Amino acid sequence: MTLRLFAALCLLSGSTFAAKVTLSKDNWGHPAGKECVSCHTKSSAGITGQWKGSAHAKAGVNCMDCHKASIDDPDAITHEGQTIATVVSPKDCGRCHTTEEEQQRGSVHAEAVAVIKERMPAMVTNLAGPAIEAAGCAQCHGSTVKLMATGKLDPNTWPNSGIGRINPDGSRGSCSSCHGRHTFSKAQARQPQACVRCHSGPDSPDKEVYEASKHGMAFESNREHMNLLGETWVAGKDYTVAPTCATCHMGAAGKLPSTHDVGMRNAWNLNTPVSERQHLVVFKDGGKRELPESMKAPKRGSRVPKMDGSEGEIKMVATPQRRRQAMTLVCRECHGKEFAEAFMKQFDAVVHLYNEKFGKPAQAIMQELYSRKLLTPTPFDEPIELTYWELWHDEGARARHGASMMSPNHAWWEGMYVVGRNFYGRFLPQLREVAGADAEALIESHIGSLEQHAWLKSPEKTSPILGVGRPWSPDE
Amino acid sequence: MSSRKYWWLPEFITRHVLIALVLGGMAGIGFMVFLIEFDHYTSSEAFCTTCHSMNLAADPYRRSAHFLPTSGVRATCGDCHVSPGVFAATWDHFLGGKDLFRQMFGANYDDPVVNALHTPEAAFSAREWFRRNDSHTCRRCHVQEAIVGKRADTLAIHNEDTKGKTCIDCHINLVHRKVPARETFKREAWNRMIEDEFDLSHGTADRLLRQ
Repeated sequence: MTLRLFAALCLLSGSTFAAKVTLSKDNWGHPAGKECVSCHTKSSAGITGQWKGSAHAKAGVNCMDCHKASIDDPDAITHEGQTIATVVSPKDCGRCHTTEEEQQRGSVHAEAVAVIKERMPAMVTNLAGPAIEAAGCAQCHGSTVKLMATGKLDPNTWPNSGIGRINPDGSRGSCSSCHGRHTFSKAQARQPQACVRCHSGPDSPDKEVYEASKHGMAFESNREHMNLLGETWVAGKDYTVAPTCATCHMGAAGKLPSTHDVGMRNAWNLNTPVSERQHLVVFKDGGKRELPESMKAPKRGSRVPKMDGSEGEIKMVATPQRRRQAMTLVCRECHGKEFAEAFMKQFDAVVHLYNEKFGKPAQAIMQELYSRKLLTPTPFDEPIELTYWELWHDEGARARHGASMMSPNHAWWEGMYVVGRNFYGRFLPQLREVAGADAEALIESHIGSLEQHAWLKSPEKTSPILGVGRPWSPDE
Repeated sequence: MSSRKYWWLPEFITRHVLIALVLGGMAGIGFMVFLIEFDHYTSSEAFCTTCHSMNLAADPYRRSAHFLPTSGVRATCGDCHVSPGVFAATWDHFLGGKDLFRQMFGANYDDPVVNALHTPEAAFSAREWFRRNDSHTCRRCHVQEAIVGKRADTLAIHNEDTKGKTCIDCHINLVHRKVPARETFKREAWNRMIEDEFDLSHGTADRLLRQ
């Protein structure tokens, strides 16, 4: 079992250490690179300065090695006699960093545009406008970089370093999202700050959750012992004081290999109206997709639709249990097995609580409101639609993320408390307005039988919490 | 003492020769004045835009820094597109006659769509002309040694990184409609852009170009 797990993890990941570039040095050191540096040291000293201190510069990798393009490339431009492209895509980085490129291909990061494709029209067109797509959504999820016939990149889609950026060469992703250009620092990507730009805010407060957790506390107090500049960075070997985002979601730990597929170790899908554990399907061509646990895990060699709709042959499937085991291996570098498993139990219990008490009933009620035509199909033209959206997308996600990464504040006050407040204080009252006379029957049919909502049926039970009445005792 | 009245002149300078010389000289001066005036007038914006098609090129120019520089020194068509020196200028105008020929017998350049479709080739050949001449018309006003700029690096770059290069190698797309470098120009993308711009159906551009 352990052996099979390890084999599966190796398939999904690379070596135990960050993959060394194995190509010969003939593959870089473009002769024109010197001229780029000469001029750009004057015209844009910042980026050349960053590059000069980078591992790339030390290895002799220059501007042209990453920016060179062939004349047929859609985004090729002629610059000082050289054919170059402004956008450096994962395909370009993958010329040398093959393992990392393969791992990130098809990952939840690389597919970050597809993840929100269905949400975009309602968000951008109804709630906001196209300006917010470029400055908001696309800055994290990635833009679809468009070219103008003048050879320039369309300013509506560039600059952009969103993690799922769809590049002119068709590749998806942006390595510079975490490895800021032009330092490409390992140390930077190993720190939680690398993730903060996107994993923060009301709907994905991972920064806030991490900072409020014991892990974040340990990191802040022991930063100098994190060995962030280490050639290898294996938890439990090269550092022991704290885990960062990268440690648990990507890093090598003990025998667990590192991976650039950041979602690989996640058993749950937490940013959905209702959470479900997910299989991770890896296709022969390197593509990936998730399938809910309620579907039987497809067999190796069978064919299932890929994210883009075309059919793919399955190379392997990692079940949610396997993915959870991988994550737990990281925990085990510091914590005992029972400790780690008990924590996971607490986390799973919060997800179930959210699902069963709020997520599923609210989703079913909304579906019924639409099917009974009590709501227009257009999103966000009725207040209850905003309430429901925030219920799962904002506070619902906060509660689940808070529990997953140990911020008590986000699990409860910023999370489940707000879920409850909105469910009882906004969602149900708005539902009564929308459904009128049918409302009570509708509510009864969806939450009437749920033990967790039974307290609503005892309106006489007082509590001093609101400063009135006498203390309620469980004996009553 | 000779009986000749103008005894100090050589003998072959007869009276008739003298008259011919004076008249010829005056005609020569007149011709030169004519050429200078001709080149001057034919280098002006007013002359160039007598052809409607040239207004389409002049339009972006009138919004450019060469038309409205902070210094107030305006460059007109000929300042950039006609060589310095009266003979070179005359020769350029003579060659420029082919533009007139094409205006009359070639494609309908007065049509903004046709014009925009042909703009890249015009840009490429103009850039080639600048390159061949070491950007000599730029240097009428811009003296490389005097380019100091507002940022320290402007001076350094123009001193240290311009070997084997001429102005036009770096400074393109300053005045007229922006066109990519010839090497990476993509006709397909250009045609689609023009169709979008003028709200034309897919393929119209290719059809117009074939005509």
